[in-house]
Amino acid sequence: MFLIFQRLWQVNWAEQWQYRANLIMYLLYWLVSPIIYLAVWTSIASSKGDVNGFTVNDFVTYYMVLLIADQITSNIVIFTMGYKIQDGTLSGELIRPIHPMLTNALVNNIAFKALTITGLIPVWIVLFFLFKPDFSTVTLTGILLSIPVMICAFFINYLISASITSIAFWTTRVYSINEFYWALILLFSGQFVPLSLMPKVIQEIAQYLPFQLLMYFPIQVILGNLSRPQIIQGYVMAGIWLLLALALFNWVWRNGVRRFSAVGA
Amino acid sequence: MHTLKLLSAFFKVNVQMALAYRADTVVNILLNLMWLGWELLSLNIIFSNTTSLGGWGIGELIALLGVFRLVNTMMIALIWPNTEKFNQSIRDGSMDYTILQPANSMFLVTFSRMTIWRIWDLVLAIVLIVVGINISGDTTTSLNILTFILLTVSGAIIIYSLWIVLISLTFWFTKFDNNVTILQALLDAGRYPATVYPVWLRIIVTFVIPIAVATTVPLQALRGDLDAVRILMFIAIGIASFLVASRVWKAGLKRYSGASS
Repeated sequence: MFLIFQRLWQVNWAEQWQYRANLIMYLLYWLVSPIIYLAVWTSIASSKGDVNGFTVNDFVTYYMVLLIADQITSNIVIFTMGYKIQDGTLSGELIRPIHPMLTNALVNNIAFKALTITGLIPVWIVLFFLFKPDFSTVTLTGILLSIPVMICAFFINYLISASITSIAFWTTRVYSINEFYWALILLFSGQFVPLSLMPKVIQEIAQYLPFQLLMYFPIQVILGNLSRPQIIQGYVMAGIWLLLALALFNWVWRNGVRRFSAVGA
Repeated sequence: MHTLKLLSAFFKVNVQMALAYRADTVVNILLNLMWLGWELLSLNIIFSNTTSLGGWGIGELIALLGVFRLVNTMMIALIWPNTEKFNQSIRDGSMDYTILQPANSMFLVTFSRMTIWRIWDLVLAIVLIVVGINISGDTTTSLNILTFILLTVSGAIIIYSLWIVLISLTFWFTKFDNNVTILQALLDAGRYPATVYPVWLRIIVTFVIPIAVATTVPLQALRGDLDAVRILMFIAIGIASFLVASRVWKAGLKRYSGASS
């Protein structure tokens, strides 16, 4: 099994490496909105002194860490697998003795991530000197505590995205469904603004949803803003959602593949 | 007259193409409404924490959202589909047929594809602008509104001209099919007044990829922030950039040699 993953890694890394020129465009695309949110909120905070206790530096550190957390927990599975289900090229992968979504596509996503994070490092350093954040609240324990959560959140997000991608077995409109999923992330993950500045209702709901695990929760763990019970609660939520996402994906995939072969594609 | 006839022909063809995917249109409009809801909610969240953003009130930001959506609609309804067709036609040589037609090639390349249902988006954008102006209310004179309209048009022309230059580059570097991504990537910066951005970002969105000239500047005119000299300057830049773009397009066209040679 290890050998299989090693080979898959070599193939997928080589494949992603071909597209390194596109990487710059992708990074640019994806960097612009966090930087805009950062600019908007720091401008408000500096005109008033603080926004509900959030100072300029709080916003800068929040979005600087968000850039990393978002990059670790996001994925592009809908773009790499969606069309394969629609045009039938998935057949070739289905006859292999390994799971297409949980091996090849997964490794492909991780290879993509490895490349984008490498590209992010110099950009992040430049932004660090432009915004000069003060990271004095960050502790090693915080960073170490956030890593398992981010890995867990990556898998939760990946499994849900893979389930949405698998809806392509039934309908061609998966991309619209995925857009709706993105809106949920925007609303409940803390991507637009730290969740504690969102309306109360949204905060209440967000607590029980997996989206805050993608950004808000790990960021706050790294910045050392959460108490011990809050951290434990987050870990429990991560565990529960990982199991739920796994069950969801298994169910969707199994029914989808059955349909796929029934059509005879 | 000739141009209008062509335009209506393109329109008809694109309506027919869109009618084949009616359910998609409904889904797209629903998604569009969802994003509008999100945009208004995010403005509401911002203004529940502050009374002004860079000196601008909520009404002005709603109007800015409208202007942003106008530019965004131009991107999505015209620029993207036509870029896709254009890049394809350079790769497989079908650009030959476009050049052979007895009409201005730049015109044909701009209007042959349209995402029709986006007309709905134009209506929404205008509603947002009108509502926004009414909320901010106080001092808008009819002269301000006139300059606002003029600068919105000239801003859109500047973005359009930049697009023409970007796709013309394909004539020199055939493998340049990322040409429009950079425009789209920075477009989001048009949602908020450029005055809140750090200096380096403001320079990029004003001078390099002039998104702010098409969004923030018309709103400034509406607020009466711009003097006559600057208004005339922005209109002049609009005209100049269109002239430069059509020059570049013609020069590029001369380099085009078909796909087989």
